[in-house]
Amino acid sequence: MHNLMQQPFRTAVLVLVWGWLLFLVLAPNLLVVGASVMTRSPGTFISLPLTLDAYRQLFDPLYLEVFLHSLYMAAMTTMVCLLIGYPFAWSLSKMGKQRQVLLVFLLIVPFWTNSLVRTYALKLILATNGLLNSALMSLGWIDEPIQMLYTEGAVIVGLVYLLLPFMILPLYSVFEDLREDLLRASHDLGAGRWSTFIHVIVPLTLPGVLAGVMLVLLPAMGLFFVPDILGGSRNLLVGNVIKNQFLDARNWPFGAAASIVLTLAMAFLMFAHRLSKRRIGEHGV
Amino acid sequence: MKKLALAGLLAVGLTGCSSEEPQVLNLYNWSEYMPQEVLDRFTEETGIQVVYTTYDSNEAMYARLKLLDDSAAYDLAVPSTYYVSKMRQEDLLMPIDRAKIEGFDQLDPDLVNLDIDRDNQYSVPYLWGTTGLAVDTADVEGEVTAWADLWDDRFDGRVMLTNDMREVFHVGLRVLGYSGNSTNPEEIEQAYEKLQELMPSVRTFNSDAPRMPYLEGETDVGMIWNGEAVMGRDTLPTLEYVYPEEGIIAWLDSFVIPKNAKNPDAAHKFISFVLKPEISALISEEIGYATPNLAARELLDDAVASDRASYPTPEDMVNAEFQTDIGDDALQVYAKYWEMLKSGQ
Amino acid sequence: MNRWLPRTYLTLVYLLLYVPIAVLVVFSFNESRTGYDWGGLSLRWYEALFNNRAMVKAMWNSLWLALSAATISTLIGALTALALHRYRFRGKQVLNGMLFVVMMSPEIVLAISLLALFLLVGMQLGYVSLLLAHVTFCLPFVVITVTARLSGFDERLPEAARDLGASDFVMTRTVLIPVIMPALLAGWLLGFTLSLDDVVVSTFVSGPSYEILPLRIYSMVRVGLKPEVNALGALLLVFSLVMLILSQWILLRSRR
Repeated sequence: MHNLMQQPFRTAVLVLVWGWLLFLVLAPNLLVVGASVMTRSPGTFISLPLTLDAYRQLFDPLYLEVFLHSLYMAAMTTMVCLLIGYPFAWSLSKMGKQRQVLLVFLLIVPFWTNSLVRTYALKLILATNGLLNSALMSLGWIDEPIQMLYTEGAVIVGLVYLLLPFMILPLYSVFEDLREDLLRASHDLGAGRWSTFIHVIVPLTLPGVLAGVMLVLLPAMGLFFVPDILGGSRNLLVGNVIKNQFLDARNWPFGAAASIVLTLAMAFLMFAHRLSKRRIGEHGV
Repeated sequence: MKKLALAGLLAVGLTGCSSEEPQVLNLYNWSEYMPQEVLDRFTEETGIQVVYTTYDSNEAMYARLKLLDDSAAYDLAVPSTYYVSKMRQEDLLMPIDRAKIEGFDQLDPDLVNLDIDRDNQYSVPYLWGTTGLAVDTADVEGEVTAWADLWDDRFDGRVMLTNDMREVFHVGLRVLGYSGNSTNPEEIEQAYEKLQELMPSVRTFNSDAPRMPYLEGETDVGMIWNGEAVMGRDTLPTLEYVYPEEGIIAWLDSFVIPKNAKNPDAAHKFISFVLKPEISALISEEIGYATPNLAARELLDDAVASDRASYPTPEDMVNAEFQTDIGDDALQVYAKYWEMLKSGQ
Repeated sequence: MNRWLPRTYLTLVYLLLYVPIAVLVVFSFNESRTGYDWGGLSLRWYEALFNNRAMVKAMWNSLWLALSAATISTLIGALTALALHRYRFRGKQVLNGMLFVVMMSPEIVLAISLLALFLLVGMQLGYVSLLLAHVTFCLPFVVITVTARLSGFDERLPEAARDLGASDFVMTRTVLIPVIMPALLAGWLLGFTLSLDDVVVSTFVSGPSYEILPLRIYSMVRVGLKPEVNALGALLLVFSLVMLILSQWILLRSRR
């Protein structure tokens, strides 16, 4: 009886999900894989014969450097987001239930203003003639404007500003579930604040941290307009290379191959990270 | 229920596409590149509604028109310089029926019949401009007269280049005395090496609004488009536009009709409408770039018409070069060196 | 002490988040064209904005698209997360992998591959193609958010519900949905934000029949921050804040 009732629902869910992903994710990505092993062609973008030239081109140390630099920028961004977002989500979950919803919306509302517009607003603040330098100078804290725009720091500030909610929201949804009685139990058992934090709170919120890291790190690798606007386009990041290959250089096989290798490299990193986590966990307990 | 909703959505989507009355002109253009007033007046006069859709680079426009091919619904597009010849060679365009175009003979003879489209069978010039040197005379002492001056030590960290592969290499090639349209890998490599020396001085690349780094106080000297220089002068009167000795980079944006346009008649009417002297003059004054329409130039405000930044003298145009299609293989060479330049190798 | 520390921290971060927005709102009243000098108070940019019919239409298109894309992706995303969490079936890793690929694909690759697909099946470009694309790139964000919430979830609850005779559907509705509600809200908000902001994918999969706001803004902003855009940002902000306050007020009243 139960089975009969639950089968249709289960089937419907699986069909919908699989259908969507097969049609809109697998199919287009097969096209990408296909494009990556074709030959670049001036008239039609791609043509036969099949070749692995695009992958061979990727062996250039130039691209390894670009990848590592992008990874470094994305990792810095993720770390700053985590440092700001973790206490933020925690504090948020301590507010009254009703106020929480309001605060979550208040958090997201600035993000409904186009990200490009906000990036330009940041530029108004960071420029040599900008608001921050003028403010600091009129306060007498500095005599000469500081160069903030077109630096790596500016790029990271921009990325953090754009991606922060992607860290906070998943964290918030796990903190929201953190049960007071567990904390009290830990306290009653004689654990100090710090010990409770390390042994109870961190493990319980870890899924949220991992989700947040995914949601920040991966998009940060591909955002190309922030390094363009705040970094002065002097930093070549992975997203820029792939976009240039598709549009400016019109080398689609190469762009497709770069995208595939990027995806595989990031998947490998995530996988390796999870494995090492698991091993540490085994030893720790 | 979900199916119903989906069907509903589908219906909404479809009715959006299949508007019955043919009197719509789908114009695919650069953003902010046509005053709303022009569109309104065109609709008033002809009853044809204009749907204005935008793109932000020739590359994106080209890729889309090419991919969409048969399902393309655009009646008119505005590619720059050599994209006209490229699209024409790849059979993406429809010939323009000169009999239906009024006012073609008012166009500047120097700007029609170019190599990109002999006899203008497929294109009609819309606006044109140049990429030259910008100098903020408040911060720069001494003369700046040539591209080569950018390599001067005194500009360390104060130089701006456009974020455009072809334009930046154009400068490098011209400084070495080569054509800005070189397809010779050795020349391109030399240009790369020359530009590499410039890189430590370069503060930023900008092809969105090249006047901004000068206004922000980030840079003092570098490349700029003439229209941007004119706009920038409003706020920063010391910003000067200089025609470099090695020659300026010239470009021309033209109307073309995509091969599968649904309403080529309306497209022809629109081109004729824009070619009216008073409309061309209005556009030029509003957008800030030069009109190729000689009859319109006479209607312009004196201050605009005599502005050397917008309307160069014949001497300014000595050594000027239009960009041409360099072909796909040379493009790969450029792209490679561009990446190396950007990543600091 | 424990009360004011979180509050101070929250206030500080909110301040930082709103500073750039405040700059934008202030400059939307600036008479001068560039952002770097103050030319006096003026409403001319708001006037320019309202006279721009295409812009207003694009705004409504965008809002409608973001609403529908966020809702559908939350629905499908939540079901995907539940299926991954609750059911045993073949190809789980493949499913996870596909979501990862969506997150990792550079926008331009997603854009061109989706466009190629739509052209292959002969789909008209417009609202439907935009919707399909937007739902697809919002999906992994919802799935990851909901999964994070589910992984901390007490497994005995659904068991108990089933023992009490609830069908899977009933159990999902009465036990799981309430539990994942905060994650659904979070996922919906992320989806709405992403959709409202997307430029690259939309550039490729939209047609002239359905132009959306980010495309217009993108190209406008790129030619030098236009004050109209500031005005638009300010309006959107005020609109969302008013909606927010209104919904809170309704909620409060209904409680009484």
